Amino acid sequence: MSALLAEAPRVRVRTEPEDGDLVALTLRGNTEAFATLVERYDRAVYHLAYRTLHDVEEARDATQEAFFKAFRSLRTFRPGSKFSTWIFAITYHACCDRLSRRKHYASEELPDRADATPGPEARVIALDEASRLRSAIDALPEKYRTVVTLFHLQGKQYEEIATVLGLPMGTVKTHLFRAKEQLRRLLSGMEVTES
Amino acid sequence: MRMDELERAIMELPLEEPPEGLRASILLATAHRPAPAFSFYELAGIGTLGAIALWLIVVLVSGGGALFVHTLAAIGSVVLRSFSNVAFVSWLATGAAAALWLTLLTGTQPLAALSHRSDRQGRR
Repeated sequence: MSALLAEAPRVRVRTEPEDGDLVALTLRGNTEAFATLVERYDRAVYHLAYRTLHDVEEARDATQEAFFKAFRSLRTFRPGSKFSTWIFAITYHACCDRLSRRKHYASEELPDRADATPGPEARVIALDEASRLRSAIDALPEKYRTVVTLFHLQGKQYEEIATVLGLPMGTVKTHLFRAKEQLRRLLSGMEVTES
Repeated sequence: MRMDELERAIMELPLEEPPEGLRASILLATAHRPAPAFSFYELAGIGTLGAIALWLIVVLVSGGGALFVHTLAAIGSVVLRSFSNVAFVSWLATGAAAALWLTLLTGTQPLAALSHRSDRQGRR
């Protein structure tokens, strides 16, 4: 009996509703279901926005915009697809719009913006490992940085990352491989500088 | 650093901390958005009534409303005469009471539904 009780928590059925169920509930008028989706994904969405835009206020606005667009166009969400991929794609497009507006107003070359940041290596010497890695990611070109951020959020789901970015899966894998190569070089360079 | 170590390190990076109040503002714009004071059909009704009222005013002001005024006065006098008749008012009151009683009995309670709706709007 005690063995059975000990087993109980492991076989407990997960009662949390799936994202797709929450979308369906929202479409039936239960707006609290959407609140649950916001609670699940607001941090990840903000992370993606911030890592893409590098500006707290703009990332905040992009996050709000993404959720607002998702709420308004929830009927276009295809049942069976992943809500995370969908909301990340909306966020990514919101960020791209902001980046192109920024480019339009500032007339700066955005993909090189991160590279032009003066000496990320110099800034990271005294930082801990996570901060060093984050700074190294910041030093990557825009296209690699976004792929790494999505890899961080979605794991090895290359197809999902490709859907978010609207790129072929092969391109995503290539970008990720090159990004990791650059990160390795950058991090080992930092270690040499430190020692 | 090996590739698998790097991948693990990326995966283990903490997420950015969102600014305070972000979730609240998202919810306020989406799930907890206050209900509009009027529904679409109510707005359409109000708009139609407003348009009719405006049209009548234009007709009256432009001087072509003599017939309209005459008809309105006739209707008004009929209504006044009806409501000054005790029998008419009694039958009207009896009919209204019966209708209210029947709706309460059958469960289709328009008054209860209305009060429930105003409660919900008040809570929001």
